[in-house]
Amino acid sequence: MTALRGQPRKGGRLVRPYTMTGGRTGADQPRFALEALVSATATGLRTRSQFHWEAAEIIAMTRRQTAIIELAALLDVPIGVVRVLTADLLEKGAVSVVDPPSQTVAEKDSRAYTDLLQKVLDGIKAL
Amino acid sequence: MESKPSDQTPLIPVKIVVAGGFGVGKTTFVGAISEIEPLRSEAIITEASAGVDELYVDTNKTHTTVAMDFGRITLQNHLVLYLFGTPGQDRFHFMWNELARGAIGAVVLVDTRRIEACFAAIDFFEQRETPFVVAVNTFHGQKLHGEEEVRTALQIGPEVPLLYCDARVRVDVQRVLAAVVEHALSRVGSDDPDDEYPNLGAAAEGPIEGRFGSLRGGVTD
Repeated sequence: MTALRGQPRKGGRLVRPYTMTGGRTGADQPRFALEALVSATATGLRTRSQFHWEAAEIIAMTRRQTAIIELAALLDVPIGVVRVLTADLLEKGAVSVVDPPSQTVAEKDSRAYTDLLQKVLDGIKAL
Repeated sequence: MESKPSDQTPLIPVKIVVAGGFGVGKTTFVGAISEIEPLRSEAIITEASAGVDELYVDTNKTHTTVAMDFGRITLQNHLVLYLFGTPGQDRFHFMWNELARGAIGAVVLVDTRRIEACFAAIDFFEQRETPFVVAVNTFHGQKLHGEEEVRTALQIGPEVPLLYCDARVRVDVQRVLAAVVEHALSRVGSDDPDDEYPNLGAAAEGPIEGRFGSLRGGVTD
């Protein structure tokens, strides 16, 4: 049987796409879910020109709520890059982020989670 | 068009994971119901740390990327459902943690001609206690194996819903997704969360490596 690939190793080098983020990986930032929805704020739209290209593009694309993973696909950059840029924008009040409720609700409140699932089920059936 | 930011009720995102072996029809399944053409996103990964989007990579290897296909369905009540196809190759299984986190549930898509290709997915969701249904992709209307035969081959108990579907057909996909949510609903509210999957041990019949072992080693039946 194939062993687990590799052992953790120290060191390494920068991965090129992260030059867009100044080399930051977002390890110290909130880790948005892939489906977390980003939307531009009025502040973001007003100050858009002050941001670098990819960040400004995120603001433009999120006039309509758009998921982290969609931004990555549409901008053609790795998901991690979008996470870092979005965290920056969030910190500056340029976007807001809606996290998926299922991650926290399920653990804390089964009643609320049941309600959510029921709505999702109704929604799927109504398609 | 320049416009003010959305001031409607914000959408709430939820997700369902679509897993199964390489080439089983995951992207077809997603595409059959998604309101957008399935899109592909990439994450940079390192095998060494099994992390996603890690900055530092093995000095001897270059980084690699893993692709995930996904689709979107806007539902009533301000909900938006994302469907994520898992990367098919075995070596990307660790990515599934990222995908499964927060998922309502999962679909394990099965091609009965290559049934072993989905063992890893079933093992994963059982171990993680993610509610999942098995959907046998019948392709051209072929139903090659009966339900009991499939259940036996997959070592799944009666608590796991099993459906047949044609991954190209929207209503089939809709029915499977509804089954996932119904199954998830049936699992909520259990007094003891640790007891949500009472059949975990029995269904897996031994350690998780069981199905992986047969998958990799090609153990005969």
